[in-house]
Amino acid sequence: MAGTIAADTLTHSTAGSIATNYVVEGSAKAWLNHNNAHTLLDSFNISSITDGGTGITNSVTFTNAMNNDDYAISGFAGNTTNDDGFFCGTGIATTNFSARIRTHNGNLNDANISCLMAHGDLA
Amino acid sequence: MQTPDFKGTHLFDRLCWAKENLEPVQSDYRVVYEDSIDECAKILVPDLNWMACAMQGGILPPVWVYWELAKDESQPGFTKHTRGHLLHETEPVGPMTEEEAIEYLIQKDIPQSVWQNWDEGNRPKMVICRKQQLPQTREWRNAWRISDELAA
Repeated sequence: MAGTIAADTLTHSTAGSIATNYVVEGSAKAWLNHNNAHTLLDSFNISSITDGGTGITNSVTFTNAMNNDDYAISGFAGNTTNDDGFFCGTGIATTNFSARIRTHNGNLNDANISCLMAHGDLA
Repeated sequence: MQTPDFKGTHLFDRLCWAKENLEPVQSDYRVVYEDSIDECAKILVPDLNWMACAMQGGILPPVWVYWELAKDESQPGFTKHTRGHLLHETEPVGPMTEEEAIEYLIQKDIPQSVWQNWDEGNRPKMVICRKQQLPQTREWRNAWRISDELAA
């Protein structure tokens, strides 16, 4: 591809060096930001999400699948009036995962803003 | 903007190009489906950047590639993909209309058990609609079902 630089190491003049695989392996491979109506505001490497009910994103589906189902998901959920919301995930497959947003009481809850990202190896 | 010749280019690299060069397309289409009698209706929401890729053409692999990967993953003892190259080396599909993109997405992201026989039985298991046709608030969200009025 045009504009390609092949390098195994990046070196700063004073701060030292870093292997480029730190960048390749450490970068998020997919991410998204959606609101409480499950409208996607922005994303990368996502083909769709599925609203599965209150507090449930039944499926977040990748365009470029992951290589295995051992990848890591992290997320943030919040409301404008309070910070009551956290993610828990279920059902990780190479092509999709599901997520739940719960309050501190454990109840499922729609959040005004939900952000999720996936780190791992691509297929 | 012309899509570069991406044949053989890693799909992730194609998505990077698309993110940098294409305007997102926020579709008003939604796909409502039911895959369990014990659960409320689910609503598939297309991604805005994916829709831009689909309508641009030359970026996404044919949908059968995803079916092949799903077959591999359903095998007992599956640990990792060995045919991921299908995503990258299969010739990308051409530009789609928004409606064609939704059809592709249904076949990619909704369980086959739903879309293969969506209109068999007493009532449809799947409906394509506009966002504006859904309830405008999420009140009683966990009780939403496809209307019986749509029964054949």
